[in-house]
Amino acid sequence: MDTLQAGLTGVLAGGLYALMAAGLSITWGVLRIINLIHFGLILLGAYLTFQLASSWGIDPILTLVITVPALFAAAAAVQWTFDRLRISELSSLLISFGLLIVIVQAVGNLWSADFRQLTAAANPYATRSVSAFGLVFPLPTLLAFAAAVVLIGGAHVALRRTFTGRALRAFAQDRAIAAAFGIDHRRIGVLVAGAAGATAAAAGMLFAMSNALTPATAFEWFGTVFAVVILGGIGHLLGTLVAGLLVGAIGAVVTVLLSPSAEPFVLFSTIVLVLLLRPQGLFARGGTR
Amino acid sequence: MLEITDLAAHYGDAQALWDVSLEVRDGEIVTIIGPNGAGKTTLVHTIAGVHPATGGRVVFDGSDLTRLPAHRVCSRGVAIVPEGRRVFPHMTVEENLALGAYRKGARATHRATRDRVCELFPRLAERFHQPAGRLSGGEQQMLAIGRALMAEPRLLLLDEPSLGLAPVVVDEVFAAVETINAEGVSVLLVEQDVERALSVAARGYLLVEGRIMAAAPAGRLRDSDDVRETVLGL
Amino acid sequence: MTAARRGLVGFPVAFAALATLSLYRETMGFPLFYLTLLGTMLFWTAQATSWNILSGYSGYFSFGQAAFVGTGAYATAVLYGRHQVNFYVTVLAAAALCAVLALVVGGLAFRLRSLRGEIFALLTLAVPFILSALAHLNSAIDGGQGIIVALPPFPAGLGGAQDYLYLVSLVVAVAAVWAAYAIQHSRFGWALAAIRDAEDVAEGLGVATFRYKMLAIVVSAVIGGVSGSIFALQIGFVAVTGVFNLTVPLFVIVMSVLGGRTHWLGPVVGAVFVTLLQDRLTSSGLADWRLIVLGGVLAVLVVLAPEGLYGRLRAGPWRALAAFAVVTLGLRVADAFGEVLDWILIGAFAAVVVAVLPGRTVRRDRTAERQPADEKPQEEKPPEQEQADAPVGDVLVECTDVARYFGGVRALDGVTLRIGAGELVGLVGPNGSGKTTLVSLVSGTMRPTRGTIRIAGRDIAGLPPHRVAHAGVARTYQVPRPFESMTVRDNVAVAIMFGREPCSLPRARVAADRHIGFVGLAPLAAARPTALNLHQRQLLEMARALATNPKVLFLDEALAGLTPAEIDNAVEVVRRIQRGGTAIVIVEHLLRVVNQLATRIVVLDKGTCLADGEPRTVLRDPAVVRAYLGKRAHA
Repeated sequence: MDTLQAGLTGVLAGGLYALMAAGLSITWGVLRIINLIHFGLILLGAYLTFQLASSWGIDPILTLVITVPALFAAAAAVQWTFDRLRISELSSLLISFGLLIVIVQAVGNLWSADFRQLTAAANPYATRSVSAFGLVFPLPTLLAFAAAVVLIGGAHVALRRTFTGRALRAFAQDRAIAAAFGIDHRRIGVLVAGAAGATAAAAGMLFAMSNALTPATAFEWFGTVFAVVILGGIGHLLGTLVAGLLVGAIGAVVTVLLSPSAEPFVLFSTIVLVLLLRPQGLFARGGTR
Repeated sequence: MLEITDLAAHYGDAQALWDVSLEVRDGEIVTIIGPNGAGKTTLVHTIAGVHPATGGRVVFDGSDLTRLPAHRVCSRGVAIVPEGRRVFPHMTVEENLALGAYRKGARATHRATRDRVCELFPRLAERFHQPAGRLSGGEQQMLAIGRALMAEPRLLLLDEPSLGLAPVVVDEVFAAVETINAEGVSVLLVEQDVERALSVAARGYLLVEGRIMAAAPAGRLRDSDDVRETVLGL
Repeated sequence: MTAARRGLVGFPVAFAALATLSLYRETMGFPLFYLTLLGTMLFWTAQATSWNILSGYSGYFSFGQAAFVGTGAYATAVLYGRHQVNFYVTVLAAAALCAVLALVVGGLAFRLRSLRGEIFALLTLAVPFILSALAHLNSAIDGGQGIIVALPPFPAGLGGAQDYLYLVSLVVAVAAVWAAYAIQHSRFGWALAAIRDAEDVAEGLGVATFRYKMLAIVVSAVIGGVSGSIFALQIGFVAVTGVFNLTVPLFVIVMSVLGGRTHWLGPVVGAVFVTLLQDRLTSSGLADWRLIVLGGVLAVLVVLAPEGLYGRLRAGPWRALAAFAVVTLGLRVADAFGEVLDWILIGAFAAVVVAVLPGRTVRRDRTAERQPADEKPQEEKPPEQEQADAPVGDVLVECTDVARYFGGVRALDGVTLRIGAGELVGLVGPNGSGKTTLVSLVSGTMRPTRGTIRIAGRDIAGLPPHRVAHAGVARTYQVPRPFESMTVRDNVAVAIMFGREPCSLPRARVAADRHIGFVGLAPLAAARPTALNLHQRQLLEMARALATNPKVLFLDEALAGLTPAEIDNAVEVVRRIQRGGTAIVIVEHLLRVVNQLATRIVVLDKGTCLADGEPRTVLRDPAVVRAYLGKRAHA
């Protein structure tokens, strides 16, 4: 029962990983930019939620009203600059690595390197949980799962049903021809990056809801999130969702059966194996489709 | 309607087009023939804005397209059927067609246009929900033409529509091109299959090594031994 | 003086000078604090150099430097700190362990077909995380406790503990930089540079790229590991978070990118500058800003000066030195704030600004426009004609029923073709007829789905492209792909160095000049490829291919995009090559030219051989006319 409970909780918690990974995956797949700043934006989202909720007493979920536009704008501005400077995929990795370090350190300077956590008063969701079939699910985890399913599922549908969504997929498949049909690469770039920034805000908020924050957390996400991106297939949204849930389950089960510190080992080994054996991801033949 | 003067284009240092001048009049089918490697595809890409021009002018309906990026050329009413089809392989036929109507002016009427395209190419309607990558070569060619028509262009740039297709299918494609033209769309047709191209076009240009070597009514080019010899390098 | 001899003098002198600072520290009144700072610089010099030998020289960016630091540190911590094995033995153990790690990582990563730089970066990013989790879990290694490492006993004559640590770091750093220096000036270094500039071209010219990449990662790992082992002594307490962290790759990448990745001195310059900057920020109470400044510097540099400071400083050393001297001395005289190190740092900043700022426009000197097109070649006879022993008519290339499918697409479907010595074959066909596929198959970059290919009687199945090159196949590319960081002469010299009979750089350069003269590029031998126009770069492609002393040469669209005068000149060069006895296969769109040149024409259409024979006959063949002009065109 413990393992089942752990596995299911893991699946639900995996929603958060999927949400974190979705933005990274789509910017990589569509824009060919490996944007490590994304981790910094999630971190900023988490700290902003913490700050707004604790000092102004805003409900954590409502902080999205501020963080979503802010991070949308920040990510879009970065993408606009990358586009202007014609940054290559590898350079984007280097530049964003540098900027991520800047963000993490700046967060550390602003909020200190100590652990920060929303108080119970500011965060009414933390302690609540839902029980069913003898299993208990914490409310924040459920929220993360629901957000991931709704946002990623919604994005998946939008990619198929709207003019903009189809334009984005066309752009990922053949840039030159997409342009010949009226698709402005700069507009697409800003839009995709902005949307990724918005998901970073949501992911940050959900993380702050159930975890204590410290700046170095951004680096701890690396392994899990890259595992999800690569397992799911770069740029493949539904793959990312499934991979997120899978990774969540694996992590939780490994923690229960082996030890918490075995989790990164298992995850990173998985990444290496997938990169070597199926670089296109587990589910897809690759690419935003 | 389309007027090109002294157009030049490069790939890095390599010059692909030298002083190309040509015109397409309203309602006309004009063809550009020439051996492969002559710069035909470069010419089409340069007109569409996919490849930058390095000299000369492209004027369409009185407005200068030379420096416009591809996505703005499209909104002026020029649509491209690229060499090798280049349909979006992971999108369905329906989605490919809808994508064709992405430009602002074409969105509102896109369902009606789609019906007309399906009338022209009934086979596309049968494959409506299949990914374009799974279509046969001929079907992909029809889809590529259909996608371009969705943009409701006034000028259609057709690049090597017969490439790699069975002769029966080529007949079908060329028949469609004539129908489209009869409905008032001007066509600039780039073709390796000289014979076929000249049979549908009113006028033709012979492009060799990036230069226009001859310009004449189709019939005259057809009878000319020069064309044959130039293409075969005799 | 040769590079090797300069090194033999320079490195001992540098070592002695730096050692003196410690050995006679008290006599000279050199503050201990400075010595510690120098020691830190030495550690980072070794680490950045280690990173640079792999990532800078070969172009494969690694984010996994911490893996070597950590493995080295833990080897010493566990063996010496816990089990009291002799410290110096543990240094060797660290080196061995890291070498094994490198063999595993490299063996996995470099075996991947189409390994892209980003994938290598991510793979190496994962390695330290795996190792740190392993160390954390396994109580025989660490188990989350951390390990105390005391100093080993050392001769009293060396001074105090700081002096000992400094001297040990000095030995490692000087050895590391010397290794980087030696590699850069050896065949190994040239192989890595060729890999960085254009890996598959290098392989096609005969460079055993896989072997050199493996060697690079192992050398890098050994240096990183040994330095990590010393690092364990410096920190005195080895814990997972202390050694396997992301600041290690950040530091080494910033240092090398800042200093310059293609030169052995680059990482040294970067390490000194960055360490000084870090130290000054800390001592000015700005410790919180250290990483912000460093991350920012990395981001800005990748955009502004991706080639690094060393090259810029070297281009205008006196201006930079003047800026440094003026600012540093000025601050000293004013003496308004800070101390010597601050002045030096600000002076260095001034030098950097002077070096970087105006340089943005200077680089693109397109000096040599269209010089050699009309020039008469110096030599009529091609150099080194060993083909004379291959009598005309011998079969050099023999393709039997060769097919290649891509998924369901049959790019080539059963082509049988023989090319004999001394022939000049035109390979033509409409778009998508399989010409390029055939060239890739014969040069070994692609494997046939079916059929056999023999070069001079030898089956090339399973041979890597560099071995096929040694068997006698060379090719040029439609879009010329010179090694951009090398001069024209060295581009050709690389092909000679790694040819069938390997030789040293000086000898290769002499031989290269003959090939360069042969194609008429002699006036441009010292120019960089960026200064060449397309025609000249195509000629360089030919010279480089010829330098491998091929039995058969494939020219892939070597005339595309040229002006008529240039085409005539290129045709003349091709004729000259043929006269030398090399068989040539010319893949070309311009039938007019093929017609003039070829002794025989092979027409491919839809992956099969449509016609093969004398040019005039072939081009009048109805099937060929149909393929070119369309169905009803054979009137």
